[in-house]
Formats: sequence, structure tokens, C-alpha cells
Amino acid sequence: MKFKKILGALMLAVVGLNSTVNAQDIRLGALYPFSGGLSLLGDESYRGFELAVEKRNAEGGLQGKKIVIVKSDAVDAAQAVGAARKLTSVENVQAIFGSYASSISFAATQVSELAGLPYFELGAVSDPITERGYKYVFRSNPTAKAFADRTVDVINDIIAPGLKVKPQDLRIAIIHEDALYGTTVAKYQTEAGKKAGLNIVETLPYSAKAVDLSSLILRLKGAKVDVVLQTSYQNDTVLFFRQMKEAGFAPKAVIGAGGGYSLQDTINAVGPDNMHGVFNIDFTQYLTNEAGAPGIKAFVEAYKKKYGSDPRSGHSLANFSGANIFFDAIQRAGTFDKDKIRAAVLATDVPVGTTPTGWGAKFDQNGQNTRGMASVMQWLDGKLTTVYPKEAAVAAPVIGKVGK
Amino acid sequence: MEIFIQLVVNGLLLGGILAIISIGLTLIFGIVRVVNFAHGEFLMIGMYAIYLMHQHLGLHPYVASFFAVIILFAVGALMQRFVIQPLLTADPHIQIFATVGVSTALLNLALLVFGADVFSVRLVDFTSSTIKLGSITIVIAQLITFCVALALMAGLHWFLHNTYLGRAVRATAQHRYAAQLMGVSVERIYIFAFGLGCACLGLASGLLLPQYPVFPTIGSFFVLTAFVIVVLGGLGSLSGAFLGSLIIGLVDSLSGYYIAPDLKEVVYFLIFIGILVFRPTGLLGLGRGSE
Amino acid sequence: MNILNPRAYVTLIALSLLLLIPLGVGSPFVYHIFILLCSFAALATAWNIVGGFAGQLSLGHAVFYGIGSYAAILLLMRFQISPWIGMMVGAVVSTVVSAIVSYPCFRLRGPFFALATIAVLEVVRLVAIHQTGWTGGAAGLAAPLNIGWKWMMFREKWIYLVIAFGFLLLTLLVSWRIKNSRLGYYLVAVREREDAARAVGINPVKVKLIAVMVSAFFTSLVGSFQAMYLTFIDPGSVFSLELSIQVAMFALIGGLGTVFGPLVGTVLVLPIAELARGWLSNVGNGFHGLVYGVVLVAVVLTIPKGLVGRFGESFSKWVDTLPGGKRTDGSVDVVSHDAWAPAAKTAGIEGQVVLSATNLNLHFGGLHATNNVSIALNEGEILGLIGPNGAGKTTVFNQLSGFLQPHSGEIKVRQPDGQWVMPRTPEEFARAGIGRTFQIAQPFADLSVLENIMLGAFMHTSSSAEAGVLARKVAQLTDLSGMLDTLARNLTVGGMKRLEMARALATQPRVLLLDEVLAGLNPVDVSKAVATIRRVRDSGVSVLMIEHIMQAVMLLSDRIVVINSGSVLCEGAPHEVMTDSRVIEAYLGKDYVHA
Repeated sequence: MKFKKILGALMLAVVGLNSTVNAQDIRLGALYPFSGGLSLLGDESYRGFELAVEKRNAEGGLQGKKIVIVKSDAVDAAQAVGAARKLTSVENVQAIFGSYASSISFAATQVSELAGLPYFELGAVSDPITERGYKYVFRSNPTAKAFADRTVDVINDIIAPGLKVKPQDLRIAIIHEDALYGTTVAKYQTEAGKKAGLNIVETLPYSAKAVDLSSLILRLKGAKVDVVLQTSYQNDTVLFFRQMKEAGFAPKAVIGAGGGYSLQDTINAVGPDNMHGVFNIDFTQYLTNEAGAPGIKAFVEAYKKKYGSDPRSGHSLANFSGANIFFDAIQRAGTFDKDKIRAAVLATDVPVGTTPTGWGAKFDQNGQNTRGMASVMQWLDGKLTTVYPKEAAVAAPVIGKVGK
Repeated sequence: MEIFIQLVVNGLLLGGILAIISIGLTLIFGIVRVVNFAHGEFLMIGMYAIYLMHQHLGLHPYVASFFAVIILFAVGALMQRFVIQPLLTADPHIQIFATVGVSTALLNLALLVFGADVFSVRLVDFTSSTIKLGSITIVIAQLITFCVALALMAGLHWFLHNTYLGRAVRATAQHRYAAQLMGVSVERIYIFAFGLGCACLGLASGLLLPQYPVFPTIGSFFVLTAFVIVVLGGLGSLSGAFLGSLIIGLVDSLSGYYIAPDLKEVVYFLIFIGILVFRPTGLLGLGRGSE
Repeated sequence: MNILNPRAYVTLIALSLLLLIPLGVGSPFVYHIFILLCSFAALATAWNIVGGFAGQLSLGHAVFYGIGSYAAILLLMRFQISPWIGMMVGAVVSTVVSAIVSYPCFRLRGPFFALATIAVLEVVRLVAIHQTGWTGGAAGLAAPLNIGWKWMMFREKWIYLVIAFGFLLLTLLVSWRIKNSRLGYYLVAVREREDAARAVGINPVKVKLIAVMVSAFFTSLVGSFQAMYLTFIDPGSVFSLELSIQVAMFALIGGLGTVFGPLVGTVLVLPIAELARGWLSNVGNGFHGLVYGVVLVAVVLTIPKGLVGRFGESFSKWVDTLPGGKRTDGSVDVVSHDAWAPAAKTAGIEGQVVLSATNLNLHFGGLHATNNVSIALNEGEILGLIGPNGAGKTTVFNQLSGFLQPHSGEIKVRQPDGQWVMPRTPEEFARAGIGRTFQIAQPFADLSVLENIMLGAFMHTSSSAEAGVLARKVAQLTDLSGMLDTLARNLTVGGMKRLEMARALATQPRVLLLDEVLAGLNPVDVSKAVATIRRVRDSGVSVLMIEHIMQAVMLLSDRIVVINSGSVLCEGAPHEVMTDSRVIEAYLGKDYVHA
């Protein structure tokens, strides 16, 4: 028996080596994909959270105590479960923040819910995460459905009028990478499109690992598609634009939904001229009017100071903003009791246009923020410029064709 | 109709790209008889090397290819000498695992060193332009790749049939024991063959980088397809690898259009299974495929 | 199994640690690791039945894992069926799928089989992603959080641990039973030398199919369990090539083909990977993956036989020195002194034909290898088959034992009840009572002499005990009793030849085909062998032997058949044949006819 206890203590010591337990600190878990294919945006998302923590600590901490981040890496659902368990038991965190990737969030929240620990989602968009009737899962960012609704807005309010045609006359194609992210957004785009009476002529999923999209593009060409809606990561976006140019396919408009469309690296690879005029629907990005998103400039400064470069995408901003909202709620709750936190979160009332992302905060019974908004950006002269909604817009949208 | 022709052209050109990658694999497969799961990661190494040379030394990728060829020859030779050779008499399963281990290690090493960022090279020269024949568009870079693949195949064929070393390689492939009796140093031949197969990847990486970005998992994009091609064309047959590449390129292009883009791979995996079951020697195979 | 035997109690203690450590520590994270440990060890053990025992490297095993996962969750979500039932449904489906998929692939060896399984896995994964209708596509499926035994979902972690441990015990038990049974021996035989296996009546396809189906069944069960444990599945993570490779890797590191190897491999590697992820991912992205890959290569290069394969023997010997153990070397076998006797040959009458081949013809392309050959072997006789090199004697043998099919002609064997049968495949010939040796000896190198012979004995019994008894009797007959525990690879040429004969004899044949059993033996061994062959005939087996050693042929044969250039040249009593001018011409050339 003694042997087992020693062994048990050894294991605990070994596993808990990188966690220093200090009763004066608040330990918060940060569960993101730090390695693997999603690591770029996972890391970017984490940076936003990290900046929020630093700012809060500089202002006196949470409930008077210093926040200590416990980083945890998960590449897929199975690892997410393990990571979540580790955070809830060994590391003894008070709450978990994360996670950018929908599949990770999904799996980890099952664990946290069963363990009765609050989980604050700051960036994953798959709607089902907050549709399971859980009580301790909260999400600050808008979901795939919001993205889809916004897409329809763009078609109805910007593109169709700009081309001087009726929205229903446009031939629309939805193409997407076939994993969770692309499939979810595409599904809601289809629903929203049908509801608005739009003419969707092709829906084509493709493998994110595809090395060649030429036959897909030929199909779009053959179907005489006017508007392409794409949900993709970085390399498939680059591939698509390059092969579109090679095939001589020139749709009247292209609307992306985050992912690769928001990355500066993408446009560097494609070429600013080739992506000029491409729309992108995503979380708030950096070329946004300060009036609609107070504090955004300060955030970019802080980011540059800490990481030595410009932000790589708007994910850091979304995580930063969401974390702040939740910190405020936790502060108001005064304790980490899960039900008090839930009450405090549900009582949150932040008006739209008062945060660095421009979002407001009001959470429904499922813990989902109903005042998050998807912004509409357009790549203009190599910069991702916000064009809609008006309050956040920095420039007017350009319609006509893709590329210069 | 013109779409069909464009699809065929695209498919054939894609085949050119796949051919360069597969020729190296069939060489290794055919001679050393090892399934090298790390083949894709070697390609990745090549592409990173070309990228670095382009970024820091300003070399054009096509020029940097020459250096990549040398680097990858060395990598392949080392792999054979230190990983495969000690395991030549072990279970074939063991060999497969060794290469899987190398593949995992290399992939994560790249992740560690370069991060998960995607790097690409944007060339604004003739390679990114297209020529139009009627209504058919052909990308110059792909055409060049295709021609290089042909030249590579022809060159290797000449080498294997017209030089002493080449004949020694073929002899070893056909009957290791007998070749040893004829004074051929099998170990050296294997090292050479592995190096040669990987050197082809060096060539491929220079041609590929202008067309595809490089990131740690790019190897896995190509490796399974390459295996399908090699088996389809026939183990050890260079022309088989080329033919197989063209076929798979066409299948990719046509099924992507007529069936669905996300089911392309299903089609060629089904072809793969079919070949294995009904004609394991492949279309132009030399040895016994079920060996 | 005697519980006081140290092997038994050491095993029990070690296994119970898997339960006791997490129960003692009580931390959910430790539970998680041990649950994963038990699950993956169970998966690796199940995989080992195909990959280790049968020697077919399957890298697509995740197909069955995935089917189990989806079956459990889909049936739960759509029809509210308990996952326990869903699990069984999934297992049955997996078993059927495994049979359908593996059957055509069995003739693929080594890397080709592996690649085929990968292709199947990829096809299934892609189709699952595409069929968003009922699999939910890439978005995956989440199990509804219903707590309770009926729903296989619990708040307390230890229950999951117990279930996982249960699966592990189950697969270990199945694996252990198979290994020590006839099926286990058959799998080894098929894996090592398929031809020799067929010659003792083993049907390789049937045997491998059973292995695959058993393996798929248990893999699927664990898949269902893990789906309920993780509560979220998607095609990418269940139909995962990485998972297949991991499982195979654990089995390999521990030792393919051993019972406890996969468990040992999992216990060693999995915690390292999980801990590395916790520790080292702070150093930089991908560091733990790098460590993982390097460790794998290192293990493969240094101990390719795996831990149990390499250290198992010495460890077992150490265990035997613990209290209660008995030493197994130097023990004297109490062998029954009943002489070995063949299967009843009730209807066999001296002189009646027992094996008849009429008008056999076989072409290899343009070569007429067997030209209208007819041979009749009589009950109780020794028939010598001679002829110059390349005459086609072994070709005839191969037709008489089913390894080659003649293009025309008929071969029939008389059964003990007097009826004729016309076998076609090697296994059918073996079961009809034809035993044979191979010109180039094909022992099962890593098995002991006793085990080699037992493989023949298994044709008539499925009990290892009975086979052992019969094998010992045969060993006495062929002078191998002193070497029963020697590995076949360590025998001399003479020993190997006798082993070939012994293994064939253990199938209790009515006819024994000997292909140059005396070749390469020194004179002493030759006379021993001659005596053995006589003993064999005297015990009731008819013998047909190809030989080049003329004295032996003259001494032993009742009749001789001479084959030259594929046709029968002449036959008759030894003395007549030897002085026949055609025979002399065939062997030595015209010039010697009048020598």
C-alpha cells in the first residue's frame, strides 16, 4: 500500500512539474492547438488571451489575485479530452479558456461540463458547441450561422446593388474544405441562402489536403458562376486563386469566411493584385474604424510591443476582447463558484460598439453571445479593410470583379 | 467539349508533377524493396531547402534544385546506411516502422524549426504565366515540370541500361544474392539507389515550390498518391511510374469534375485496391507484386 | 492454471497494478492515462492477432475501430439504443467487413498488404466525410450526455477504468488462448512457410480469416467504448491512419507474436507520449512528436524483436526462480512407449493400389514437363522414383501432392474405407492421407522440434496435449527424442531431414512422399535413415521416394520407376531396372551402355 502511495506521489510530482501551486494566484487554463496543422491560428488566438491576462494583471488582477496561465495543447478531439482532464484535475484550474478549433472545443467542453468547471470559448465558430443545453459553457464570438447570415447580407446589400441586378439572378457557388469548419459554415450558408431565395447552383466540398483544384474550377466555370463563397484554410485559398487565374475563371465576386482569407500570408502568396476586391467575413480585423471598435489601436500597439510584429489575423483581437468580457463577469461574480459565474455572465450587458472588436455582450440561456457580429472586410491594395457595417467601415466596398 | 479537353490537359500536366515524385519512389521500392513512408517528408525537406536558398541566397528555385539534388542524395544515402541497412534482414514490418518513425520525427522537427507557418514563393517571371492554345490554357511551370519528368525518366532509363553501375543496380533489383556472387557490393548499390531516388525528390522540390507552398505536413499530401502510382505502374518500372502518374492525374482531373472534388481520392484508392487484387504486378511491372 | 506458479501470480500482480495505481492515486488525469493505456493495450493485443500471429501487417485497423465508434453513437443518437448493444452490432459489422475486405488481399505480402489496408481505410474515411447525411460528415457526432450504466456514461472515472481493464483482460485472454491452441500454431506455420503448412493440411486462407475476424471484433468493441468515453467522434480521428500506426507500433515495440508484448509496448510508450505532450510542448511546437519518432526509430534499430521478444525468455527464467516455480530444463519426459501407428488402414490389403496417377500431362509454356506419366503405388510397398537431374521427378511429386495441377490426367487416393477421392489442393491431399517432405527442407525455424512435429499432428486433433503426445511418439520413430526442445534452425542437415519426415508422419498419412531425404547425409546418417524408412513402411505406410543414392534405392525399393525427360522410361524390380540399357543410357550416355 505504501509503495503505491509513493508511486502515486511520484507520478503527481512528475506530471505537475511545470505547475507551481501558489494559493494567492488564480489559475486559468488555456487550451489551444499549439502544434499540428492548426497551430498558426491557435497560437495567434492564444496571444490575444495572453495580452488580456497581462493587461488584467497590470490593473490589479482578478478578484485581487494574479492570474497564472496554464497552457495546454491539443491537436484533435482525443487529445482535447486528455488536456481538459489534466487541467481540471492535476492543474486545478478555476476555469478554461480556448480554443479556436471547433472539434477541440466540442470535446473539451464535454469534460469540463461533466466536471462542473466553466469553459469560456473565445474563437471556435461551430454552432453546436453552445447548442447542447450545457450550463457552464460560454462563448463570446459569433458563430458560423452569423457568418452565413452576413454572407447573405453582403450579397443582398452590396454585391447585387453594385452590379445592378437582383440578388436572385446571381448564380452562386459554395465551395469549402470538408472538415468541421468548412462544413459547418457551408451548411448555414446554404440554409440562409435558400431562405433568402438565392440561386445556389453548385455546392462543392473538397479535401483541405487537395493539391489541385483545377477540375473544381472548371466546374464553376462551366456552371457560369457569378459569386463564389469559399470557406477554406490557407493553402487551399492560395491554390484556388492561383488556379482560378490560370484557368481564366473570373467570377464577379468572391466571399471568404475567415480562415485563410484573413491571413496576411495568404495574400502575400497570392499577390495583392490578384485578390483585390475579394470579400471576407470574419471576426473584426485590424483595419477597422476606431469609432466602431474603441481600443483596437491600443491593442495593436500592445501586440506589436510584446511580439515584435503585426498581428497575423483578427483571432487575437477576438480572444482578447472576449477574455475581457468574461474577466469582467468573473470580477462581478466575486467568486469562482460555477453557478454564480453563470449568473454573472448571463447578467452581462455590454452595448454594441464599445469593445475593441466592436461587439457587444449579452448571453442567452445557452451561454452564447448574441451581440457578436461578423464583420465584412475586403482586400484592397493588399490590406484587409473593413467595409461593413458602416460604423466599423474604413472604406467603401468595391464591386465589379476580382483582381486588378 | 472544350472543358473536357482542358480537363485532359490539366490531368496530364498534373501527372507530370506526380511523376517526378513517384519516379524516385519506384526506384527505391523496386531496388531496395522497402516501403519508404518518409518519402513525403524528404520532399518536404527539399522544399524547405529550396525556400531557404531562395529567401536568403536569392537563388531561383530551378537553380536551387541542383543543390537540393545533392542534399537529398545525401539524406537518402544516410537513411539507407543507418536506418534501413541494419534492418535488411529483419521482418519487413520492422522496416516499415523504421520509416514511419523517421517520417514522424522529420515532420515534427520541421514543425519545431520552422513552425506551422506556410511559406510560399511568388515568382513573377515566365514560370507563372500561361500560354493559350485556342481556348485551352497551359501553365508554363506545369509544362516545364512535365518535360523535366520525361527527361528524368529517359535519363534514368539510359543510365540503368547503358552504364555498368546502372546494370549493377538492375541486377541487384532482380536477384540480390546472385548479384553479390557477381561481385556487386549490394550494400553500396542500395545506398546509391536510395540516394538516387531521393535526389529525384530534390529535383521535384525545385519544380514544385513555385506551384505549391511548403509547410510541415506537405509531404503527406503527396505520399499516398505516390504509392498508388508506383503500384499501379508496376514496382520498379520507370515508365510504369510515368504512365501511372498520367493515369492518376487524369483520374484526379476527370473525377474531380464529373463526380465530386472530395471523392477524387476515393476513386484512385479504389483503383489501387483493384490493381493489388487483380494485377499486383501493376501495368508494366517487372517483379512479382505480391512478393 | 496453477495460481501458486510464479508465472501466474507475477502476471496477476502486474496486471492488477493497472487498476490499483490509478485507484490509489485518485486523480482524474491519472485515470485518463490508465484508461487510455488499457484501451490501447487492448487494441494492440487485438491487432497482434493479425499483425503478429498471422504476420499480416494491417495498417488500416482503424476501420474497425471507427465502425465500432460510429455504430455505438449512431444507434444511440438515432434510436436511443444502449451503447452496449450498439457495441455488439458494431462488432458484428466489423467482423463481416473484415472478412470481405481481407479475403482478396491475403495473397498480398508484406508492404503490399499494408498499403491495401491503408487504401481501404482512406476510402472509408473519405466516404464517411462525404456522407454527411448519416455520419454527420466532418463535423462529427457528439454523444448525448446521459449518465448511467445503460448509456455507458459515468461521472466517476473509475468505472471507465474498470470497463477498459475488462476489455484488456478479455483480449489478453483471447490472445493467450489462441497462441496455445491449434489455431495459434497454424498461424505461425502459415506466417513462416505457407507451402510447408499446406503440406500438413492447413488451409492458410481459412486460418488467416479467423485471425482477422477475431481481431476486428475486439478492435471494434474497444472503438465503441472509446467513443462513449470521449463522447465526440469525427471521421478524421476514428478512421485515422495515425491511430492504426500507433497501435501497430505498440505491438511491435513490445514484441510481435507474443501475448504480453503489445501490453508492454503500450505501457512503455503511451505514458511517455502523453507526458511529453504535457512537459515538452512548452519547449516548442512539435517537440514531443519528434521525441516520439526518434524513440520509435531507436527501438526498432536496437531491439527489433521487441521487448518481450528479446527479454521475455530471460525474464521468464527469472520468474521461475521465484518461490513456487519449477524448472523446466532437464526434466525427463515420461513418454509412453506405445509404438507409433498410422491411422487405421482397415481396408488396406497388401498389394492393393493406394495412390493412382494416370496419364498426367503438364506443360510449362513450351516445355512438356510431364509427359503422359502413370504411376500406381501399392499398399505397403516402397516405390523408388529415379531419373537423371531435370527429368521432372519433383514435378511429378508436386502434382501428386497438390502443389501443381496437371493439365490433364487423373490422380486418386484410396481412403481407409475403400473409396477413392480426387484431391486438388495441397491441404486436400494432406487430408486424403498424402504426407510429403520437401527437397529443400522447410522447417519452421523458430519453433522447437517438438512444435514442428506437433504441427503435423494437429491435422487429426485440435488438442495441444494430444498433439504433443503423438508428436513425441513420432519423434521416437525418427530418432529425434533427444532434441525435442531444440529450435529447428539449430539442427544439422540430417536432423532437419528427419524433422521433415517426422512432421509428415505426424499427420498419420497412408502414403509418404519422400523427396531426396538422403541427399547431403553422411554414410552413418544414410543407414540410420534407411532403417527409419523401413520402420515406417513396416508400420503400415506406403512410401514413394525420389532418390539419387543408388545403394539406398536398391536396398529399400520393392519396385522402381525411372523417369527421363518427363516420361516414364521403364519400371520394374530394382535389379531389372538397373541393368536396363535405356536406363544406363539415360544416366550415363550411350557410350556406357556396353560398358
